[in-house]
Amino acid sequence: MNITVCIGSSCHLKGSRVVVGRLERLILENGLKDQIDLCGTFCLGCCQSGVSVQFDGAYYSLSPENTERFFIETVLPLLRDERVAGMRRSD
Amino acid sequence: MRAYNNLCADIGYMSLNHAGEQLCGDHIEIAGQDGGSTVIVLADGLGSGVKANILSTITSKIISTMLAAGLNLTDCVETIAATLPVCGERGIAYSTFTILRLVGNERAEIIQYDNPPVILLREGTCVELPSVSLTVGGKRIVRTDVALRENDVFIAMSDGVEHAGVGGVYNFGWRREDIVRYMETLWHVGFTAKTLTTILLQETDRLYDGKPGDDATVCTVRIRTRVPMNLLCGPPANRDDNEKMMSLFFGKEGKHIVCGGTTSAIAAEYLGQSLQADLDFPDPDIPPTARIAGVDLVTEGVVTINRVLEYAKNYLADNSGYARWSVGKDGASRIARLLFEEATDINFFVGCAVNPAHQNPDLPISFSLKMRLVEELSDCLARMGKRIKTSYF
Repeated sequence: MNITVCIGSSCHLKGSRVVVGRLERLILENGLKDQIDLCGTFCLGCCQSGVSVQFDGAYYSLSPENTERFFIETVLPLLRDERVAGMRRSD
Repeated sequence: MRAYNNLCADIGYMSLNHAGEQLCGDHIEIAGQDGGSTVIVLADGLGSGVKANILSTITSKIISTMLAAGLNLTDCVETIAATLPVCGERGIAYSTFTILRLVGNERAEIIQYDNPPVILLREGTCVELPSVSLTVGGKRIVRTDVALRENDVFIAMSDGVEHAGVGGVYNFGWRREDIVRYMETLWHVGFTAKTLTTILLQETDRLYDGKPGDDATVCTVRIRTRVPMNLLCGPPANRDDNEKMMSLFFGKEGKHIVCGGTTSAIAAEYLGQSLQADLDFPDPDIPPTARIAGVDLVTEGVVTINRVLEYAKNYLADNSGYARWSVGKDGASRIARLLFEEATDINFFVGCAVNPAHQNPDLPISFSLKMRLVEELSDCLARMGKRIKTSYF
């Protein structure tokens, strides 16, 4: 699964580097390096509401402060669902 | 200007002031001449401070203006003798000078009066210049004529450089042989004229223990081939011009740099390639670079260019930021290396579209800022001696 973080001018100035850093740490701490690909993009077309992040087809507006909440409330549950669905398929 | 060959001159100069002086007693003046010639004059006024500064400024300005206008050397020297104010303490009007005249980037004429002889490094070793001695207006002047070759490095200096370390590190100062040996080791690296100048003056300053006992000036001229470079930034004001702007940009000879998020998306689409952004921050304040097959460098826009402008201003001053941008892996350092070191002819393709997100008063960026950045940057590059062409879309 991909988490794509915008690193364009606006998002950069709003703290995309810190968001990237926190996501990297959260992915590492939760042992999800094999399941999540963190990548960058220049512009997601939502400069007004940066830091723009794309995950599972949806756009999110993150800030350094709410990054951890996004990870716990949005990323982790989705991964869990995926894993359950995957196990069912292999049964 | 008509270019006779593919060679051009990279000129870099800098001065160290006599310790405690606000003004430098040495002065450099550069004048262009019709037909692609350049006249560079390094003058060293008697004494230091205000008096020396006035003497050297008048001398270099008169010589460069008169020679560039096609007048002969005798007239220049006589004019200086008649114009320079006479020093009240010493009863003489005096300023030494070195003239480097590059004719059509094919040959150099060097005229020297009492300054340390110009050093020519050819293929990495110092070459003695054939010279004739003549008397002009009662002054003994040495004249040299030499055909230019690619990678020739000429180093002109005031005597403040040779005097470095007198009575301290060296008994008799930094001798010419020592300076030659020091600079010969640097020739192979391919440093720009400005960087060579800075390195020589840093060593001079060190030998003076940070307190120069004389004004010291170095002017380096490096003969090199012309290298074109193209930089694209900003989408065009009218979307319908995307195709036109891209085809003109990518049709140009030389390397291609694309700056800006939306701009690189347009470039990627035009080339039919994907745009892949990296997530590394070699410099925490500069956004990561990206990759598009067929483009030499892809970076973010305003933040990166703002930093390049800072480096450019610093390069023209004391070049103290060199250690940072000369090795940095971030977008700004990489643009700086391409523009300051590699390029001689730069084409700017500037798109005038307004990014609504940048008009946010909470952000330190705006449309007018972006346009000003590009203008200031091209000004700085022109002052580095680059030929700049800017097209707006």
